[in-house]
Amino acid sequence: MTNAPILEMRNISKAFGGVQALRDVSFSCRKGKVHALLGENGAGKSTLIKILAGAYRADSGEIVFKGKRHAAFSAREAMASGISIIYQELNLVQFMTVAENIFLGREPRNRLGVIDTRRMTKESAELLDQLGVRLSPSAYIGDLTVANQQMVEIAKALSQNADLIVMDEPSAILAGHELKSLFATIRSLVEQGVTIVYISHRLNEIFEIADDVTVLKDGRVVSVHPISEVSRAQLIQMMVGRPLEEIFPRAMRSRGAPVLTATDVTTERLSSPASLTLYEGEILGLAGMVGAGRTEVARALFGADALRTGKILLKDAVIRPSSPKDAVEAGLALVPEDRKTQGLFLEQSIRSNITLSSLDKLTRFGMIQRGLETETIARAQRELSIAMASPELEAQHLSGGNQQKVVLAKWLQTSPSAIIFDEPTRGVDVGAKFEIYELMRQLAERGVAILMISSDLVEILGMSDRILVMHERRIVGQLSREQASEERIIELATIGAHGETEPA
Amino acid sequence: MSAVTSSPAERGLRIPHGLRRQASTLIVYGLILILGVYASLLSSNFLTERNIFNVLRTAAFLGTVAIGETLVIISGGIDLSVGSVIKLSVLMSAILMNGKPENIAVAVAATLAMGAVVGLINGLLITKVRMAPFIVTLGAYSILRGVAYTVTTKPVGRAAPGFLRLYDLKLGPVPLLVIFLALLLLAGIFVLRRMTFGRYICAIGGNEQVARLSGIRVDRIKIGVYVLCSTLAALTGLLYLSRSGVGDPVTGEGAELQAITAVILGGTSLFGGQGGLIGTLGGVLLMGLTNNVLVILNVSSWYQELIQGLVIVGAVALYKQKRR
Repeated sequence: MTNAPILEMRNISKAFGGVQALRDVSFSCRKGKVHALLGENGAGKSTLIKILAGAYRADSGEIVFKGKRHAAFSAREAMASGISIIYQELNLVQFMTVAENIFLGREPRNRLGVIDTRRMTKESAELLDQLGVRLSPSAYIGDLTVANQQMVEIAKALSQNADLIVMDEPSAILAGHELKSLFATIRSLVEQGVTIVYISHRLNEIFEIADDVTVLKDGRVVSVHPISEVSRAQLIQMMVGRPLEEIFPRAMRSRGAPVLTATDVTTERLSSPASLTLYEGEILGLAGMVGAGRTEVARALFGADALRTGKILLKDAVIRPSSPKDAVEAGLALVPEDRKTQGLFLEQSIRSNITLSSLDKLTRFGMIQRGLETETIARAQRELSIAMASPELEAQHLSGGNQQKVVLAKWLQTSPSAIIFDEPTRGVDVGAKFEIYELMRQLAERGVAILMISSDLVEILGMSDRILVMHERRIVGQLSREQASEERIIELATIGAHGETEPA
Repeated sequence: MSAVTSSPAERGLRIPHGLRRQASTLIVYGLILILGVYASLLSSNFLTERNIFNVLRTAAFLGTVAIGETLVIISGGIDLSVGSVIKLSVLMSAILMNGKPENIAVAVAATLAMGAVVGLINGLLITKVRMAPFIVTLGAYSILRGVAYTVTTKPVGRAAPGFLRLYDLKLGPVPLLVIFLALLLLAGIFVLRRMTFGRYICAIGGNEQVARLSGIRVDRIKIGVYVLCSTLAALTGLLYLSRSGVGDPVTGEGAELQAITAVILGGTSLFGGQGGLIGTLGGVLLMGLTNNVLVILNVSSWYQELIQGLVIVGAVALYKQKRR
């Protein structure tokens, strides 16, 4: 395999308004290698990638791709010359089939301009085969798992004869075994001479898959190395700019009385009865693959799906939440998996986002008390150290970590006794991740019971006092902090075998 | 190599998209069938060749506009101006034709061109000025209506005799207008399924961002859809002229809502991306049939609107049930 660079981005600078997003960034990838691009949110990764994709135009600098110099890339030019970008928000049309999506914009047509459906289906099947995915080209995207949708994206990239595929945080939406198969796919692509730029926050993955790594911080390149020459600690230090000895704050206190008890709960989406108890001051991890039913459990507890059978006790009172409103009033909070669609109003101010669930407290005679609201927000900002210029800014202008803090701030205003976190650090950069962990710990120490759903095993192992594992919509095992290991969880989550279980 | 395991969703715990798409079509045609059986039991006049072809011929008017409206709605937009375009089209063609056969070609061409220009302006405002389709076409609705009523409040102009005959022309037992609607529908279905233009309409309505990133010229396609829709509305106006023979300014009143109703009855999502013309045809036929049955039953036309309202709310409630 040659080591010649297939892509060189030279001295790229880009400013938005007064903000310098990239300063003199040079980035190059060797052909047929996996190059990891690391950096916190706001470090400039997306800007760099969007310039490569032709979505933004650099203020200065040049791109040399396959030996050809480009002053500026247009989206079409980038695509035509063999660059494919797989964004985190997968770019597929839900209502169209796999084949239609793969060939969208480049449909094979016969001489009369009619789409050659047969050829499209056949070539799609070949591409999927090549990737080792068993998927029907005529399946609708909306019916596929996120992992399979990602495979369709990769097939789409291959159908464009991409020489360079950029994957923007592909692991953020995948569970463990899905990630393994993605890595297998990446390796076989690399063998075929395709170059991969792999963006991720997760260092484990980068050490597993990448050949080289470039670290960006505050719009500058801080390091370029073969992965074999750097350590984990060094990478973290370079990204965050300070050494981080302890990733996970340790558990401090033992658990208290039961706060939330669910007994034989079923809903339409959760057919086999689920039971669990959540104690005061503990963090209970709920592990399992994507689609194992973890979110469904959370939805049942939170009243988002109506209970068919079973009962839920909060403290000593039976609650039968038939809507999230009931659950909130009873003292439950849910920090949802997808904050962009379920947790935040992106176009509304940080102010109205934070106080949305607790407006009753801030209202007198039907009028919102502006002063009280401002006070509340100032307190939330202090407690959670939300980095914002003003609470009047729209929530969409915050980084992922700060958005997550706003969601959290909203819920803390309701003084919940139990909080459900669904994938709390998905799409959040390392620095903010630690802050969120720290906050969860603090909450637990104050006696709040926490249920944490996560696909990130490191997170599950690091944060949980106790772990429940789900498989095919059942809770199949319980592990104490001491019993738990990566292997043990994976075993339960994939085979569903019963381990040292006691009634959860 | 990897074999990504299928999720419960893929194993059919949820109704898959493919099936869900069919459900509304099945319901609308089911309703037509039930209504048809009911009507034929009620009156011996219903199941006659004459009555059936009459229903179908009447459907050609709403059908033609509704085809355009379907494409607009699938693309994620809406066109509220079609009723006013029909109105203007009837007036314009009647005035230009003025009873003279030698003017037919000019009148038809000019009227269709008027429709295309309206669509072009709508499309440009929506894509280039980035205005919401609802607002743009609401404005166009009002402006064109104003223009029409400024020109005249009484019937004007006259269709040429040959043009007037088109409405009554038959091929064997089948009215020409019915054949026309059938051909138009087939063409529409073909475009939607087998031409890139149609495919891109679905893609844009499904997810505009994805469409853009896939290298589709989104603006061009959108403008095309509005041009097509307005042109079909102008064509509908010509059909009206062939029926009434004069340019009556009340023509086309409420046609935009009728067309949208038919599209929704046909199962096309108001949010775009999903839907089709077979469904729309079902919607058009269901509406036509309801009217026909009510006429046979001698129900006052005020009740007809009431009942149509009930039909649309009821039908969509049924679709939602199927989706659970």
